[in-house]
Amino acid sequence: MEYNTAIPIYLQVMDAIKRDIVTGRMSPGDKLPSVRDLAVQYSINPNTVSRVYRELEMEHVCFTRRGTGTFVTEDGERVAQLREDMAKDLVQGFLAGMRQLGLTSEEAEELLRRYDTDARQ
Amino acid sequence: MLKLMKYEFRKTMFSKTILLVITVIAELLLLAGIVLDRDNGIGFGIVGLVLCASFGILYIGLESLLVFQKDLNTKQSYMLFLTPNNCFQILGAKVIENGLSILLGGCFFLVLGILDYTIVLTHYGELKDLLTMMKLLFSSIQIEINITTIDVIVVVLELLSSWLMTIVTGMLAIVLSATLFAGKRFSGFVSFVIFLLMTWGCMTVINHLPELSGLLDSLAALVFTTLMYLIAGWIMERKLSV
Amino acid sequence: MLECNEITKSYGKKLAVDHVTMKLEPGHIYAMLGPNGSGKTTLMKMAVGLVKPSSGEFTYQGNPVDKESRRAIAYMSTEPYFYSWMTASDVGKYYRDFFADFSMERYLYLLERMELTPDMKTKTLSSGMMAKLKIAVTMARKAKVYLLDEPLNGIDLLARDVILQSVIEECTPDAALVISSHLVDELVRIVDTAIFIKEGRLVLMGEVEDFRTQMGKSVVDLYREIYGHTGAEAESEV
Repeated sequence: MEYNTAIPIYLQVMDAIKRDIVTGRMSPGDKLPSVRDLAVQYSINPNTVSRVYRELEMEHVCFTRRGTGTFVTEDGERVAQLREDMAKDLVQGFLAGMRQLGLTSEEAEELLRRYDTDARQ
Repeated sequence: MLKLMKYEFRKTMFSKTILLVITVIAELLLLAGIVLDRDNGIGFGIVGLVLCASFGILYIGLESLLVFQKDLNTKQSYMLFLTPNNCFQILGAKVIENGLSILLGGCFFLVLGILDYTIVLTHYGELKDLLTMMKLLFSSIQIEINITTIDVIVVVLELLSSWLMTIVTGMLAIVLSATLFAGKRFSGFVSFVIFLLMTWGCMTVINHLPELSGLLDSLAALVFTTLMYLIAGWIMERKLSV
Repeated sequence: MLECNEITKSYGKKLAVDHVTMKLEPGHIYAMLGPNGSGKTTLMKMAVGLVKPSSGEFTYQGNPVDKESRRAIAYMSTEPYFYSWMTASDVGKYYRDFFADFSMERYLYLLERMELTPDMKTKTLSSGMMAKLKIAVTMARKAKVYLLDEPLNGIDLLARDVILQSVIEECTPDAALVISSHLVDELVRIVDTAIFIKEGRLVLMGEVEDFRTQMGKSVVDLYREIYGHTGAEAESEV
């Protein structure tokens, strides 16, 4: 994984894991890799991975069972909320970008409809 | 320390192998000369074997110091200094390996010499003459043995102590030179000079000792040797940067 | 675990290491940064006893470094140092003979991953292959402290990944790794603490995360500040 040096690495890894959960690549209750394995997988410091898991646990996206490992939350509602949060970030980012171009929200919505290739079918 | 000795031996294996090969060639020359009745072969063979024995043993003894010089003045020093061994162990292993090599080499040539002597004699003398000669030899040795056992021991001790002192003086000289001149090209020359100076110094003291017994010289040499070994080890451990 | 207190090394009038005080704790991967000749190598060599300090000392677990500490500290130098009559296999056997924490299995595995074979002669290795051999034999040890001097120099991309992976794997709660390099970018994501050495002095040491949150600067930013032509000014601010 290539990293953006402007953003803290742990945030980028958290984001990647959340993405995996939201898209269904990881299911509720799945076991996440051990700290060491994830560190090797992402080629990062194990302490960073510990931080990632800690933060995810604080956000109730994961939970840790002592001696066994870290697991994806089994709370389906939490996953749905996560999806909504991530989608909200994208939408707000989109709208902010549009505003920067000098377009209003209505104009942005119109462009959205026009260029949404899936909706036309 | 056995492991250190193992690697000290392997460092010198190449030249020992060369020596063995040359010895074998000389031996074959000798044997061929005897079988084919060619004096040339026998002559060259004997000369070759004698040269191998004398220069060979000398070189074996010297090589230890050459290897040590290289060990301290090139990056190969890391091989020794990164291991969990203290410098006294490193020096000790080198000295012991050197001694064992000389001993083994000496025994090898001695046995070879006896064998060849017997072969030459068997070939040229009548068998009866040979047996008579051997009987005379043994009886003369028997007479001598009772008188000179102690002398033999003293001679052996003297040889041992003088060899030890030479080796350890050489090592101290190399350590000093490496500590002061850190791998510069003339450090080899400097170690040789230091070696000469120290040997001269020790010999002067020894020669001025009272003539109590042959053993006193050896004892003094051993004292000097121990002192130099301790100093060399201490400098290596505390002051030498590689 | 491994620390030094006001350690100094001078060569004549030149101060290669200037009163450095430093403490290394297990469970961390340190980057020791600074240009060539800044004193990083001399510091590492003093930690294993290859170079003797002019004053001050390194201690491991409270004791001055000596043959006992070398059982637990693994050092990889920039220079090649194996005996010229050795093959890669001989090198492994040598390490196995002297280091109880050496794993021949791991060594052979690393050799294979780096595309080296045990029968290769050290005499005939290219500089890149020699670099790979050095790192393979060092990382095949299960040491408590690893001091790696420019481990990524002259290494191709794929072998680099193998090395970084093995570094991460050896970072357990009871081991510390110090990687010295002048290539900052590659190291940033696997280290958690950065040590900046300049002209023999330790000018800054701290956790990468702290730099970001408290100073808003990345390690690369700091590197530029400390060693760039504005280095003198930045140093006084920092």
